[in-house]
Amino acid sequence: MFELAPLLTQFFADFRGFAAARGISPDMALLISKVIQTNLVVLFVVSIPAVLVYVERKVSAFMQARLGPMRTGPWGIFQTFADTIKLAFKEDVVPEGADRWVHFMAPVVVVAPVLVCYAPLPIGQGLIPVDIDTGVLFILAISGMSTIGILLGGWGSGNKYSMLGGLRAAAQLLSYEIPRVLSVVPVVMLYGSMSLQTIATSQQGRWFDVIPQWFIFYPVIGQLAFLIFLISSVAETNRTPFDMPEAESELVSGFHTEFSGFKFALFFLAEYAYVFLAAAMAAALFLGGGDAPFSTGGIIPSWFWFLLKTFAIVFLFMWFRWTYPRLRVDRLMQFCWKFLMPWSFVNIVLTGFFVLLRMK
Amino acid sequence: MLENLPSIVFYVLAAALVLSAIAVVVLPSIFYSAVALGAGLTVMAGIFVLFGADFLGVAQILVYVGGVMIIMLFVIMLSPQTRDNFQKHSLNQSLRGILLALASAVSLLQGFQVFAGMGDSVRDMVPTSAGLGRLLLGDLLLPFEAISLILLVALVGAALFGQDKLS
Repeated sequence: MFELAPLLTQFFADFRGFAAARGISPDMALLISKVIQTNLVVLFVVSIPAVLVYVERKVSAFMQARLGPMRTGPWGIFQTFADTIKLAFKEDVVPEGADRWVHFMAPVVVVAPVLVCYAPLPIGQGLIPVDIDTGVLFILAISGMSTIGILLGGWGSGNKYSMLGGLRAAAQLLSYEIPRVLSVVPVVMLYGSMSLQTIATSQQGRWFDVIPQWFIFYPVIGQLAFLIFLISSVAETNRTPFDMPEAESELVSGFHTEFSGFKFALFFLAEYAYVFLAAAMAAALFLGGGDAPFSTGGIIPSWFWFLLKTFAIVFLFMWFRWTYPRLRVDRLMQFCWKFLMPWSFVNIVLTGFFVLLRMK
Repeated sequence: MLENLPSIVFYVLAAALVLSAIAVVVLPSIFYSAVALGAGLTVMAGIFVLFGADFLGVAQILVYVGGVMIIMLFVIMLSPQTRDNFQKHSLNQSLRGILLALASAVSLLQGFQVFAGMGDSVRDMVPTSAGLGRLLLGDLLLPFEAISLILLVALVGAALFGQDKLS
C-alpha cells in the first residue's frame, strides 16, 4: 500500500518518457536517471549518521541514567545538526609532523567505499539501487578498503598514538574480516545466490504457518552464523568492546587524533554509515529483509520492516558499546583466530550436510 | 558519444592504471609506492568488471586491496625505516628492472596476439560466479586443491619461522 519501489520505478519510467518527448536519446535519459538514483543513495547514506549520532547519545544517556542532549530543539533532536555545522566551520589543523598528502587522503579513502557499499542493498522489497549478482561479496570487499584509509590516517598524522591505532586497526580489521566472510557462506550456500535481493526474498514463507523462514530460525546453523556475523561486524566497525584502534583511554582516540573539522566529520560519517550497513546486511541476510514477522494486511510496507530490523540491530550495537568493557589486544586476536574461525568452518560443514539432506 | 562509453571508461581506467604503475616505481617513499600500488589494483578491478568478469573484480578487491595491500602497509609501518628515509635506486637494480619489464612486455604482446582474435571483449554483464564455482569444484578440482596445498605448506613454513627459537 505504501510501498516505495513501484512508485520510484514509475517515477523514473515517467522521467525517461518525458526526456524522450524532449528529443533526448533513450541511452542518455537512462544515464541521467542513473545519476539521479546515485545521488539519492548518497543523500540517504550521508543522512544516516545524523540520525545515528543522536540515537547513540540518547541511548548512552539512558543507559547511564542521564537525559542526554535536551537543549537544541524538543528533546534535543537538532543536536546533530548543530554539531555538524560546528564541525564544518572548525579550523582544519594539519600537524607539523604530518605528511600533508596522506593526511588529506585518509578521510577520503575511508568515506568513499562506504558510499559505494550501499548500492546492492535492498531496503525492503524491490527497493534496491543496483541488483548485483555478487552483492554480498561486493559489500564485504569494498568495505574492507576503508582499512587502508585508517592506515593512511595513522601513518600520515606523524603521531605515535595514531600510528599505534593504525597498526591495531590493520591487524584487527584484517583478522575479523575472515570470520565475517565465512559466516555469510552458509547463507549463500543455502539460498544459492550472492545477490542480497534474492537472499532476502528467498526467506519469505512460514513453517507451520507461524515461524517465519528467516535464516536465523534455521536450527543451529542460523543462530551460529548470525552470532559470528554480529560479533565480527562489531569488530569490523571499530566499536566497543572491540574499539582497540581508537581506544580513548590509552591511545587518545588513535588514528583520528590529529583530524579536526570536516575531516573528523568524515571519519565520523564513515563509522556510523558502516554500523548501519552492517545492521542492514544482518537484516537482509539473517532476518528476512523486508518480510513482515506477522501479517498486517499489507498496511505496513516492507521498507518499514527492513528499517525496523536494521535499527533493532543498531540498538544492539549501541547496547554492546555502553555495557561491555574493552578487550585486551592479544585476547581480541585469540578470540578471532582460535574461536570464531574454527566455529565458522564447523558451521559451513554443518550447512553442507543440511543442504545435502534437503536435496535428497 | 554514449555508444563509445565503454571505450571511454576503458581508456580512462587504463590511463589511471598506467599512471599509478609509474607512480609505484618513481615515488620516493616506499609508503607512497604501496598506496599507489593499492590504487592500481583497485583500477584493475574496475577493468575486470568492465570486461564482464564481475566475480574476478570483486575477488581482486577482496584479496589484493583488502588483504595483501593492508599487510604490505602493515609491514612498512612496522619496519624500522623512518618516513624521511627515501629509497635509492642503484644502477644495477634499474638494469635488472628494465630487463624484466622488457621480458614481460614481450610475453604480454605474444599473449595479446593469441587472445586478440577471440571476439568482442566488451559485452553485457553476465554473472560469472556460478560458472566459476562449477569449474573450480568440477573440472578443475584437482589443480584447485593442489594450489590450496601449496598455500598450506607456505602457512606451515611461516608458522615454523615465526616460532620462538628454543635452545
